[in-house]
Amino acid sequence: MTSGTSLSAPLRVDPDTLTANALAGLASARDEPDWLRAARLTNLERYLATPWPTGTEEEWRRTSLKDLPRDAALDENAATEVSALDPDSTAAGVVFASLADAAVTHSELVRPYLTDDVAGPATHAAFWQLARATWTTGTFLSVPARTRVDLVLRARTVQAAADGAMFPVTLVVVGEDAEVTLLEEFSSPDGSPSWFGGIVDLRTARGAKVRYASLQLLGDQAWRVSAQRVMVGQDAEVTTLNAEIGSRVTKLGLDIQMTGAGGTSRLLGLLAAGDDQKIDINSVQDLIGSHTTSDLLYLSALYDRAHAAFYGMTRVRSEAKQTSSYQECRNLLLSPGAGAEPIPVLEIETNDILRCGHGATAGAIDPTQMFYAQTRGLSADAAERMIVRGFFERAVADIGSEPIRARVLAALASRIGQDAA
Amino acid sequence: MALPTTPNPALSQVPAGYKYGWHDEAKPLHIFKKGLSAEIVAEISAIKGEPKWMLDRRLKAYRHFESRPMPTWGGDMSEIDFQDIYYYVTGTDKAVQSWDDVPDYIRKTYDRLGIPEAEKKYLAGVGGQYDSEVVYHNIREDLERQGVIFLGTDQALVEHEEIFREYFGTVIPANDNKLAALNTAVWSGGSFIYVPKGVHVELPLQAYFRINTESMGQFERTLIIADEGSSVHYVEGCTAPSYTTASLHSAVVEIIVKKGARVRYTTIQNWSHNVYNLVTKRAVAHEDAVMEWVDGNLGSHLTMKYPSIYLVGERAHGEVLSIAFAGDGQHQDAGGKVIHAAPNTTSLITSKSISQGTGRTSYRGLVKVYPGCTKSKSTVRCDALILSEEARSDTYPYMEIDEEDVTIGHEASVSKVGSEQLFYLMSRGMTEAEASAMIVNGFIEPIVKELPMEYAVEMNRLIQLQMEGAVG
Repeated sequence: MTSGTSLSAPLRVDPDTLTANALAGLASARDEPDWLRAARLTNLERYLATPWPTGTEEEWRRTSLKDLPRDAALDENAATEVSALDPDSTAAGVVFASLADAAVTHSELVRPYLTDDVAGPATHAAFWQLARATWTTGTFLSVPARTRVDLVLRARTVQAAADGAMFPVTLVVVGEDAEVTLLEEFSSPDGSPSWFGGIVDLRTARGAKVRYASLQLLGDQAWRVSAQRVMVGQDAEVTTLNAEIGSRVTKLGLDIQMTGAGGTSRLLGLLAAGDDQKIDINSVQDLIGSHTTSDLLYLSALYDRAHAAFYGMTRVRSEAKQTSSYQECRNLLLSPGAGAEPIPVLEIETNDILRCGHGATAGAIDPTQMFYAQTRGLSADAAERMIVRGFFERAVADIGSEPIRARVLAALASRIGQDAA
Repeated sequence: MALPTTPNPALSQVPAGYKYGWHDEAKPLHIFKKGLSAEIVAEISAIKGEPKWMLDRRLKAYRHFESRPMPTWGGDMSEIDFQDIYYYVTGTDKAVQSWDDVPDYIRKTYDRLGIPEAEKKYLAGVGGQYDSEVVYHNIREDLERQGVIFLGTDQALVEHEEIFREYFGTVIPANDNKLAALNTAVWSGGSFIYVPKGVHVELPLQAYFRINTESMGQFERTLIIADEGSSVHYVEGCTAPSYTTASLHSAVVEIIVKKGARVRYTTIQNWSHNVYNLVTKRAVAHEDAVMEWVDGNLGSHLTMKYPSIYLVGERAHGEVLSIAFAGDGQHQDAGGKVIHAAPNTTSLITSKSISQGTGRTSYRGLVKVYPGCTKSKSTVRCDALILSEEARSDTYPYMEIDEEDVTIGHEASVSKVGSEQLFYLMSRGMTEAEASAMIVNGFIEPIVKELPMEYAVEMNRLIQLQMEGAVG
C-alpha cells in the first residue's frame, strides 16, 4: 500500500464487514508505525472473538442496539485538540497530546497501553476492543511519578461528519504520587444518526490523585456506546464526573477497579436529558483491595419523554477487608412523559465491611420547594431552573475544580435554560 | 417404590436445632410413581374427580411448563430433577373437621407440631396439609354462619365451583412463569378463603403445611377473596423432615382484596434444609384496599419468593415485610414487588436479612409505577446483617418509574455485628452467641413486632436456634 492521507473508500465499522485488510489500509493511510498497525490487528482479533451483547444480559435489557447506525463510515476528519502544558510540566516529562500524535512522538509510552489485554467493562467488552482497533482520535495523558500539574488540562474531540462514526480512545496514566486534572469534551453535529464509541482507560499508580471530567455534548441523533475503566491504585484518589447532555441514545458502561489497598474513588454523574433521549448507564464498583472507599453519586434531570436507566453494582470481594462504599442515584422527573429506572445492586461477599449501602429516588420536584421559590417572586420556569441547578450542584461541586464546575454548568444551559439573573 | 438415588451432602447440613426433622414411616394411601408427564397430570385430576375444565387447565399449564426454560437468575436450581419427584402422595381420602378423624400417625405429627392446641387457644380456623392433601380443615361456627368460607382448595372446587372458577388463575395465570405453570398443572391442596362483604375475621386463620415423604413435591394452591369492606389475617407455617435428597415446594397463592378490604398474609417458612421452596404469591388490591405480606423465611435449601401486590384501585395500599435468615448452605432469595397501577396508591417494602456461616441472602424487589398513576408513593428499605466472613448478602432492587408526579425512594444498608457491640454485651456477662442473638433480635424487631404474639415468640426462638453453634 502507498502512503496516502486518505482511504480510497471510507472504512465502515459494521461488525459484519470490518476486516484486517480494511484496518491495515487505515493504518497505511495514516502512515502509522508498524507496532501500531500490529496493535490494531491484534485488537481486531480480540474484537472478532468477543460477541456483541444479545439484549438478554441484565445490563443490556433496557437499551436495544437495533437502530444503532452500524454501517456508518469512519469519520476521517474527526479530530482531538488538547490545551497547552505549562513549561514546568513539560520539563517534568508530562505528555499531553492527541493519541494520534503521541503514538508517533512517544510511542514507547503509548505502546504498552494499546497492546496489553486489558478488557474494559465486561458489558462493553466488544466495544472496548472495537475502539482499540479502529480509533482515529483520542487523548493521551501521561504524568510521571511525583509530578503535580496545577493547570486544568483540557481536550476536545469533535466529529465532523454528521452521519459518521468515531471511536476516540482516551488514555490517562498517572504515576506514583502524581496529581492531575483533565476535562474532556466530546461533540458531534446534530441531525443525522451517528455512532460514537469512545472509551476511557484511566490508570493510577500508588498515591496518585486524579480528577477526570467528561462532558458529553454529542449531536441529537448520536448513539453513544461507550465504556470507561478506572483502575485505582494503592492509596490513590480518583474522582470522575460524567456530564451527559447530548446524544439520542447513550449506553455507558463503567468499570471501577478498586485494586490497590487504601484507594478512594468518587464517581459523579450528571444527566440532563430531554426530548426522546435515552441514557442508560451500568457500573461496577469492584472493591478488591482492603481499606478501599468508593462512593457514587448520579443525578438525573429528565424532561419531555427522556428516560434514564442506571444499573449500578457494588461488589465487595471476600478478600476485601474494611471497605466503605455507597451508591446514590437520584432522578428528577420534570414532565409527565419522563421515566427512570434506578437499580442499585449490592453483592457483598464478606462481613468485614465498614460501611455499605445505597439509595435511589425518583419523582417530581417537591411542590413545597416550588411554592417557596415562587413566593419569592420567581416564575414557575425560573423556579424549576433554580431547583434543578441546585439539585446538580452537589455533583459539580464535588469534582473539586472550579473551572470544570463552571464549564459544566454553562453547558447545562442548553438543556435546562439560562438563569435570568 | 424406588428410593431417591442421589444424596446431596449440601442438602444434609441440618442445623442441630432443627426440631421438625423427623418423619413418619407409615405407608401412604396413594402414591403416584415418580416423575412428571401428561398422564400423571391427568391421574391427579382423575383421583380428585375434577370437572373437565380444570383438567384442561392442568394440561394446558403442563404444556407451558414443558416449553419454558428454567430461570437463569436467582439461586442455583441445577440440582432439581423434575423426574425424580413424587407429584402426588396422600395418606387420606378426605379432609375432616375433627382431629379424632385424622389418621393416627398424621394426627401425631400435628400434635407434635402443637397445631390442635393452638387452634383451641387463638385461631379462628385451621387447615392442615400433609404431603399432597389437606387432612383437616375447620373454622369456628360463628364465622361459618356469617358466610366465611375456609376450606381445602380441592373441597372448595367441589362445593363452590362457581366462585372458584371466577377467580382461579386470574391473578397468576398458568403461563406467568415456569413454576407457576408447574403448580397449575399438578396443584393439590392449599386453602380457599372467601370473606363476605363487611365481615371482619378477628382471629387469624391458619394453615400448616407438612411434607413427610422423601423426594416429595408439594404444590398447594391458595386462593383468598376478601369481599368489599371485609378483613382477614391468614397465617401459614411449614416444616418437613430432613432428608439428603431434594424435595420441592412450589405453591401458588392468589389474593383478591376488594374495595375497602384488608388482607394480611403471614408466612413463617421453616422447611428443612433439603427443600427447594419456589413460590409465586401475588395479590390484587382494589380501591382503598390494604394488602400486607409478612414473609419470614428461615428454612429451606433455596427459597425464591417475591410476594407481589398489584395496586389497581385508587388509594390502595400495599406492604411487604420480608425477613430472611440464611445459615450454612442456605440461600434465601426473597423480597417483594409492588406495581402501582392507579393514582394515589402507596406502598412500603421493608426487608431485613441475616446471613451467617456460608449462607447467602438476596433481596430482590421491584417497584413499578405506570404512567398516569399520579401521587403514588413508595418507600423501600433493605437492611442486611452479615454475621460471618463466608456469608454473602445481595440486594437487587428494581425500579421502573414511568410517571412524573410520584415520590419513590429506596435505601439499603449492609452491616456486620460490631465488635464493640459484642464486647459491650459480653462484658455484661453474655456469651458471644447470646450477645449475637440479642443483636440479631434487635435488628429484626421492627418486623417481629408485626407478628401475632405466638409467632413473634416462635420467630425469636427460631432465630435463636439458627444462631446456636454458629458463633464462637
